[in-house]
Amino acid sequence: MAIVSDGVRHQIEALNTRYIRAIDDDALEEWPKLFTEECLYRITTRENFSQNLPLPLMECASRGMLIDRVFGYRRVNVYEPQRYTHLLSGLIIEPIDATHIRCRQNYAVIRTMVTGEMMIFSAGLYHDRIVLGDEAMFEERIVVQESRRIDTLLVIPI
Amino acid sequence: MRNEEPLIAWPKEGSTRAPYRVMHDPEIYRQEMERIFRGPAWHYLCLEAELPNPGDYRTTFIGEVPIIVCRDEDGNINALVNRCAHKGAMLCIEPHGNRKQFACVYHAWTYDLKGALTSIAFQRGLAGKGGMPKDFDVSKHGLARIRVENFCGMVFGTFSDKVEDVETYLGPDMAAHVRRIFNRPIEIIGYYHQVLPNNWKLYMENSRDPYHATILHAFYATFKLNRLSMLGGVALGKEGWHNLLYSAAERDIQKENYEGGHLRSVIRDVGLADSTFLDRIQEFDDGITVAIQSIFPTCNTQQIYNTLAIRHTVPLGLEKAELHWTCFGYKDDTPELRRMRNLQANLIGPAGYVSMEDGSVGGYVQRGTAGAEEDAAAVMEMGGRTIEPQPGVRATEVALRGFWQAYRDLMGL
Repeated sequence: MAIVSDGVRHQIEALNTRYIRAIDDDALEEWPKLFTEECLYRITTRENFSQNLPLPLMECASRGMLIDRVFGYRRVNVYEPQRYTHLLSGLIIEPIDATHIRCRQNYAVIRTMVTGEMMIFSAGLYHDRIVLGDEAMFEERIVVQESRRIDTLLVIPI
Repeated sequence: MRNEEPLIAWPKEGSTRAPYRVMHDPEIYRQEMERIFRGPAWHYLCLEAELPNPGDYRTTFIGEVPIIVCRDEDGNINALVNRCAHKGAMLCIEPHGNRKQFACVYHAWTYDLKGALTSIAFQRGLAGKGGMPKDFDVSKHGLARIRVENFCGMVFGTFSDKVEDVETYLGPDMAAHVRRIFNRPIEIIGYYHQVLPNNWKLYMENSRDPYHATILHAFYATFKLNRLSMLGGVALGKEGWHNLLYSAAERDIQKENYEGGHLRSVIRDVGLADSTFLDRIQEFDDGITVAIQSIFPTCNTQQIYNTLAIRHTVPLGLEKAELHWTCFGYKDDTPELRRMRNLQANLIGPAGYVSMEDGSVGGYVQRGTAGAEEDAAAVMEMGGRTIEPQPGVRATEVALRGFWQAYRDLMGL
């Protein structure tokens, strides 16, 4: 495996930190900016992923579709107020070439409702393709949730 | 059973009312398991396409009863209660798989794919000692087997030996719609499983309710996917037990009702940054773009644009239910059409632009009706008080009245 420099590791960690801050701080407008114009963001479950069933829970095949999900969240869809707390661990970095990297990383999302109810809403693995630059960006983030179940609904990206 | 005193007095207004208590009373829930889920009704089990080979099985539930559906060596589909005849342990834990036989892990009682008990571990004991009595008759200790019917690729099961065949149960209009959806071989494209924070019946109401669809689901009306002003209506089967809600997006006859009005669900001055996923491909000759069918008690067929799915609701106790979505396309889909089905998955399921709200609104009703007065009830008089087909009518709750009539018929209420 190619050696990953501290600088590359730092860029990737910074990207992931900006990602979870955008979501967990309810600054979702920042979220699409972390993806390249042509990109793929998909949430699926282990059940579908492991059987090669293509059905996504959520799929954005362009930055525009990411922006539309933010619009849905802010202005169209109806749901109870809720916040996420992301926890990340176990980052694996596999360079493809000088500027493209594949990464995998565990995530867990704790969901907190206004009633105070908290639950582990989702846990699983991020499969990423990242392009390096002044700041790293996601070309692809595939979210594979371990559980096949979603509790109530999924409106905020994972 | 039927000469028992009814658990509640149904309101005198009949099926235009549904007492809130039916969402909260554990004794009513217990009777539903008996009278509806073990009663004279057909229950969706799986799709035939999910069991292509001998030995293929899937597990599901009828009410709370665990069920195995499998294809045997002769190619027939069987439905067996997923419960060992020895101590009652569940036999199949995995949601699907392929087996030559069903062996219980507890004491290795083993059954064939038709449910017959074929062997008992240590039946003769060891060294002539112990074992089962010599007169123990294995032929009397198979798995409980229930009636199964495959209608157009949808597999249904029932505990009842009285209910008519599936096609008669559905009635001509509902059977015709199942044929319309299953007009050629299908291919599964994936599953969703969504836990609903409400009694199972609240989702059954929701999926029969065209009145809410374009109000709660703002995406529909905002982006003109479905509005009550579009041509459409309600068809019924078996005196309203089943129904079909349909609309055709090309035919918006009274759009000023939305565009001049004050509905929250119509947000002006907006567009999507990337709306390519709404470029629908017209694949049915009848022009219908949204069709939601309810088959009593807990099955829906769904066409929303190019998304096709079965939705099956399973009660998880009194105040929770699980909604299982099985999404499919046709085997002969072009790559473009298959791509469109996957992109339009953004509309449906737990994260669907036009369906996520159904996950939460049932919870609002469940919590809102807790502790209600004995005689408090939901009111359903949109579109009148009768239960009859309403072609061309969309602002109506006729299909909900049909559901409650079927419910009362079976529950004796």
